[in-house]
Amino acid sequence: MQTFTDLYRFRFILTTLVGKNLKVMYRNMSLGMLWTLLNPLVMIATLTVVWVVVFGAPASFASMCIIALIPYNFTVYCLTGSVHAIPGNAALVKKSAFPRQVLPISIIATHLIHFGIQSLLILAVILLFPLDGGHFGFHLLCLVPIFLVHLALCIGIGLLVSGLNVIYRDVQYITESLLTVLFWVCPVIYADAKLQAVYDADGALESGLPDWLYHLYYANPLSGLITAYRDVLYHGTVPQFWPAAQAVVGTLVVGYLGVRIFWKYEREFADLV
Amino acid sequence: MRPVIRLTDVSKCYRIVRQRPFLAKVLFKKLMRRADPPEVHWALRDISFEVGDGESVGVIGYNGSGKSTLLSLIARTSYPTSGTVEVQGRIGPLLELGAGFAPELTGLENIFLNASLLGLQREEVDAKLESIIEYAGIGDYVYSPLSTYSTGMGARLGFAVIAHIDPDILLIDEALAVGDSEFQGKCMVTMEGFKARGKTMFLVTHDMAMVQRICDRAIWIDRGRVLAIGPSDEVVAKYQESQPAEG
Repeated sequence: MQTFTDLYRFRFILTTLVGKNLKVMYRNMSLGMLWTLLNPLVMIATLTVVWVVVFGAPASFASMCIIALIPYNFTVYCLTGSVHAIPGNAALVKKSAFPRQVLPISIIATHLIHFGIQSLLILAVILLFPLDGGHFGFHLLCLVPIFLVHLALCIGIGLLVSGLNVIYRDVQYITESLLTVLFWVCPVIYADAKLQAVYDADGALESGLPDWLYHLYYANPLSGLITAYRDVLYHGTVPQFWPAAQAVVGTLVVGYLGVRIFWKYEREFADLV
Repeated sequence: MRPVIRLTDVSKCYRIVRQRPFLAKVLFKKLMRRADPPEVHWALRDISFEVGDGESVGVIGYNGSGKSTLLSLIARTSYPTSGTVEVQGRIGPLLELGAGFAPELTGLENIFLNASLLGLQREEVDAKLESIIEYAGIGDYVYSPLSTYSTGMGARLGFAVIAHIDPDILLIDEALAVGDSEFQGKCMVTMEGFKARGKTMFLVTHDMAMVQRICDRAIWIDRGRVLAIGPSDEVVAKYQESQPAEG
């Protein structure tokens, strides 16, 4: 827990580092942070043109994907950013003694700002595009715990990959390849409903995944979180139990590994970067 | 005198990595329990000494003798392989040039970054900002990115921040050698002021005149071991005798 109490004492470092990250990302750009809206906007346009206009999918398909894509992107940015959190700040790590976890956490905080801006797009989509269920209601309160678990997952991933990448730089290439897989093993551009088992009259599997495979799919906590976001924002219901419960368990596992590995190697960072 | 820095049997060993180990090979060897013994370099061997409260100590020695490693252990950016390092009080580390500086940011932003890394809060920096800028004496350059600075200007900024955080223990690594004589004079005044206020100083330098002027004691390190420790005049004299004529 020292990891997080230190953070409070060093909150000024955190804010200066976030400021530094943003300035480095957007220096000499006239549109600045607005660029963060570009990627999701391009995705909305592409999905609409390809699926809705060309293939004749219902317009709600685009909104279903966008609602999943924005939280998915936040996770990916945290992952790819954290990989370089320690080596990218080698000068600071070598010369100053400060709690090292502020480096990956500052990256996550930076992308949290982007996530906040992109969430405005989710709001626009909810208001403008057709959805599957109700728009507003008490089910939206579920977003608070979903977001907190999501943030915990991102911090866990951040600590894990930033620590490991100092010891083995291969991690940065491994994560790149994993990301390609991750996009397809998360329900971003397809619906969770397609995965659920449907049995015919004889009890044989007609479509979807058998139960064991379904639970294996949701062993990936990000899948459960995306399904939960989509349940709340798109279907207008409270999240389904199993994907959400498995996401909590998965997050705890990732978080535990992240903190353990980061702690184990923290003292060697300055010698290895 | 109460010791504020105490090193007990400190050794520091670096693994020499000529080639990053290939992950698959490492895993395979671990599985087969045939891990290669890593090639190692002992940067420091069995170092023990104490620095008392208010004492000024200079560390001298040839390049590569382990001086900077010693400083990084006291600054707690790095940890000893064996032995213990105990430090009491707020440390003001100035390790190499412009500790904690980001080249993309302006001088002003770097003041905040550096001060925050040294453990200051925003209000403290705000209060001292004007004085820091004035001390650095680099004019409007504070609004330019650090990448446009000369080495000397970077050092000025770094020392200006250190001079204002009022640490209990000041650690300095060669940083002042690059400033012009006017700035070096200013640093000397600040360091003497530090000393007068009873602060502890620990500095690594090749400037023997500075060691003799500022330090009470000196430690001569050679190939990771303490060769001599004692009053600075004596140690400096021994060190200079051992050197070839050009000094």
